[in-house]
Amino acid sequence: MTRSLLRIENLCKSFGATPVVTDVSFDVNPSEVIVIIGSSGTGKSTLLQCLNLLHTPTSGKIFLEDQEITAPGVNQDLVRRQMGMVFQEFNLFNHLTVLGNVAIGMTKVLGMPAKNAEKKALNELTRVGLADHWHKYPAQLSGGQKQRVGIARALGMGPKVMLFDEPTSALDPELTGEVLVVMQKLAAEGMTMIIVSHEMGFARDAADRVIFMENGRIEEQGPPDRIFTHPASERTREFLSIITTGNTDQATGKASPDRP
Amino acid sequence: MLQFLLPGLGVTVSVTLIALGLGGCIGALMAVFRVYGNPVVKGLAVSYSVVIRAVPVVVIIFILFFVISAFIDLSPFMSGAIALGFASGAYQTEIFRGAILSVPRGQMTAARGIGMSRTKAIRCIIMPQAFRVAIPSLINEVTLVLKDSSLVFVIGVPELMRRAQYASASTMEPLLAFGTAACFYILLTLTLSKLLETVEKRFAIQF
Repeated sequence: MTRSLLRIENLCKSFGATPVVTDVSFDVNPSEVIVIIGSSGTGKSTLLQCLNLLHTPTSGKIFLEDQEITAPGVNQDLVRRQMGMVFQEFNLFNHLTVLGNVAIGMTKVLGMPAKNAEKKALNELTRVGLADHWHKYPAQLSGGQKQRVGIARALGMGPKVMLFDEPTSALDPELTGEVLVVMQKLAAEGMTMIIVSHEMGFARDAADRVIFMENGRIEEQGPPDRIFTHPASERTREFLSIITTGNTDQATGKASPDRP
Repeated sequence: MLQFLLPGLGVTVSVTLIALGLGGCIGALMAVFRVYGNPVVKGLAVSYSVVIRAVPVVVIIFILFFVISAFIDLSPFMSGAIALGFASGAYQTEIFRGAILSVPRGQMTAARGIGMSRTKAIRCIIMPQAFRVAIPSLINEVTLVLKDSSLVFVIGVPELMRRAQYASASTMEPLLAFGTAACFYILLTLTLSKLLETVEKRFAIQF
């Protein structure tokens, strides 16, 4: 039996009186790629940000390699260091170069000497195909390049799992491709990944498991082949048909409380 | 005339620089307290900023000189510089607070995301960006403090203004004395502003 890398038990998160994530439980195996899909506002991003404790869960437990990270007294900074996060809006550090963005976590958090950190940062940039751009500032990059720097920054901390929060939603289709290629490469290298995405093609190709969320709950989960061809739930079928007929407005255009 | 005024120039510059340095430290710290602090330190920072800004600088100078220097040994020069710094700190609190708030929220989220503590994120990610935003307002504050430094003449610090008064009395040429002092203030203001503008350009974030 494989030991799960991450175990989520009965996770709930509400903002004030508004429940956003309700009773979510699932296991993540090492090297597994999970894509979470669902309409906007169903708590996907909130769930993701609960996993590395950027949001504090209201109730429920999360275990990272059998250690309960939701237990009181756990060093949250130490937890986040082990879980790389990539943001929809990139959130690169504007005052630092590309190299600085990737290296700052290594020097300031891991305490590496600057020389080693820069060398390692350059390696990570090579992994995402941006080594030539190390001296540029975020504002000088295209959206796709920014996101690849975001991925390199997260990888630089040597995470056990990578969390992607709609990594391509702010990109046009042309730039989306270059980011997905990098993610696919990571998946092939055996990185454990949890991805919130609207890229159904990517989910179909790269995911080991697809989780469909609706109203803060897991409506259905399974291998992408089954979810996309024989969804068990009526709601999943409805969502997928809207997505695949290209009528994306209904599926993604709703106001979303967790993405202000 | 110049032999009267020149020694005061150094004193004026020193008082201004000490006050700006002190005010900068206080301002940056209080601004962090106001934005990120718990209710207690936030209350402290707000009271400081509100009260100090409501009191004339001369009053602060007198309080520090007559009241506090009765307990600890402070030269007029240091009392004046510290009083000015204390006053400037309140204004710089507001400057830095605005600058901190202008840094996008995602910067903090991303910093926490790679495992930085809150304190470290403020120090390494938020403040370096806030400083850059603050520079234009700080240039304005520099000129204000430079001119306010003339107020420390009330406690006998031999700075430019005091020297000019002395020169005016000795030479019976008030227009020349104060006119020269005014020229020195203009020169100092322009130099300091220029210096900071260079810093601003040097560290500008490209967008």
